[in-house]
Amino acid sequence: MILQIDQLSAGYIKGSQVLDGLDLSVAKGEFIALLGRNGMGKTTLMRAIVGQLKPSAGKIRFAGNDITGAAPYKAARAGIGYVPQGREIFADFTVEENLRMGLLGKPGLGALVPDWPYEIFPILKERRHQRAGTMSGGQQQQLAIMRALLGQPELLILDEPSEGIQPSIVHDIGIALRDYAKEHGLTILLVEQNLDLVSLLGHHALFMENGSIVERVDDMDRLQNDAALIARYLSV
Amino acid sequence: MDIVVLIGLDAFSYVLTLLLVTLGLVIIYGMMNVINMAHGELFMLGAYTVATLLASGVPFWICLLAAPIVVGLAGLLVEEFVIRHVYGRPIDTILATWGLSIAIKQMIIIVFGPAAVSIANPVPGSVNLMGVDYPAYRLVIMALAAALALATYLVIYRSTTGLQIRAVISNRAMAGSLGVNTRRMDRATFAVGSALAGVAGAIMSPMISVDPQMGVGFLIPAFLSVLVGGLNSLIGAVIGAGTIGGTTSILSANMAQADAQIIVFLLAIMIIRFVPQGLWKGFR
Repeated sequence: MILQIDQLSAGYIKGSQVLDGLDLSVAKGEFIALLGRNGMGKTTLMRAIVGQLKPSAGKIRFAGNDITGAAPYKAARAGIGYVPQGREIFADFTVEENLRMGLLGKPGLGALVPDWPYEIFPILKERRHQRAGTMSGGQQQQLAIMRALLGQPELLILDEPSEGIQPSIVHDIGIALRDYAKEHGLTILLVEQNLDLVSLLGHHALFMENGSIVERVDDMDRLQNDAALIARYLSV
Repeated sequence: MDIVVLIGLDAFSYVLTLLLVTLGLVIIYGMMNVINMAHGELFMLGAYTVATLLASGVPFWICLLAAPIVVGLAGLLVEEFVIRHVYGRPIDTILATWGLSIAIKQMIIIVFGPAAVSIANPVPGSVNLMGVDYPAYRLVIMALAAALALATYLVIYRSTTGLQIRAVISNRAMAGSLGVNTRRMDRATFAVGSALAGVAGAIMSPMISVDPQMGVGFLIPAFLSVLVGGLNSLIGAVIGAGTIGGTTSILSANMAQADAQIIVFLLAIMIIRFVPQGLWKGFR
């Protein structure tokens, strides 16, 4: 298991836990989609894994190391790449400076942005000297993904990457990411509402409810066909 | 004609001096958003470092190099023991650093006494510039101020360390998740800002009275320069120092110092009121 989470509890207010004794294990190279309605703790779980939120109990092991409560930079250097909800690009930096930030925090990766991110998403090359904040949502998402991939993560965590982006662009991003991940043996943990992207990037689906994982689906066709499943976990 | 050249040189000299003092504040206040009431005391520590080393026979120019190191280390301690506990809490920061400023001042009084220490001018004499005899060391100050401003600009806006510093300032959580050690960046940024305050104090020490109260005099115009020019921008600070310093200096040549100060403060209030984001961002 590349990521092993045991009995994890975390929350924002003392005494009130968003995550409540959550267990999760992800094998290397797996594409896991995490689904569930808003407020069930998906983003909280992602933030706990990357170290932006300190858990109150439980253990997070990544690639054999205990990273429970480690500072975000330690989780990042251990090999976790993070594409957060809302993308969080540096709006005042140029596209190239944003990409460079994907390298600078990692010892040994240098400071020069190589060509391959520009080959996967050519629009980034065209806009490389433009301020990132002036780009469209889809372009910013491409930038956020490439910024994370430049750090050569073993696990890529994506939180609602389709949010506010045109469906056709979401689909293109999904295909590019799937191809890259397969080629590099990247593990993906995806939080998503968009079922098109889930079917592109998910081998397995996990459903989250009230701070724990309540169901695992390995047959991804059920996501399209099983109305009871969708009704229980996804519809509002 | 001579009087015009003289007023022009004085204005230019004051602007660059103010810029020199403002540089550290641009980083600590303008970029890190820390209202450091002890900034003037860091400036003072730079001057006293020169005084102490000079007294034990170290040449002035070596003292000038030592001051930023000493004050930068002092900044590291201040960050570790005070500032890091109050990030994002402006009122607490003001109180904590105000207390710190009093403590540093009293410490200086205990060690050096309340009286002013005088530091000999390392470059006495004057230079004839466009028909005016101008103190040579003032020209040295102007050159050093311009060089330091340029160096600061290059580090913050052109180096990879500067990029990481700006990334931490603009989005701390994300910078961390990209692998940047944000604590180390905070420490380094605060220490560099402190070192700049220290070197400013050291450079100015032969020209001003080095005493325990010396920090305040430059602190207010420096804060005003940052506010008027616009936070989070070095070019803004240059414009701010130019506006505040230039106006003060030109007005002082024609009227009483106090009247000039009142007009400058009113001007600053008007600018902050009508262009709250500062002159640089406001008119871009």
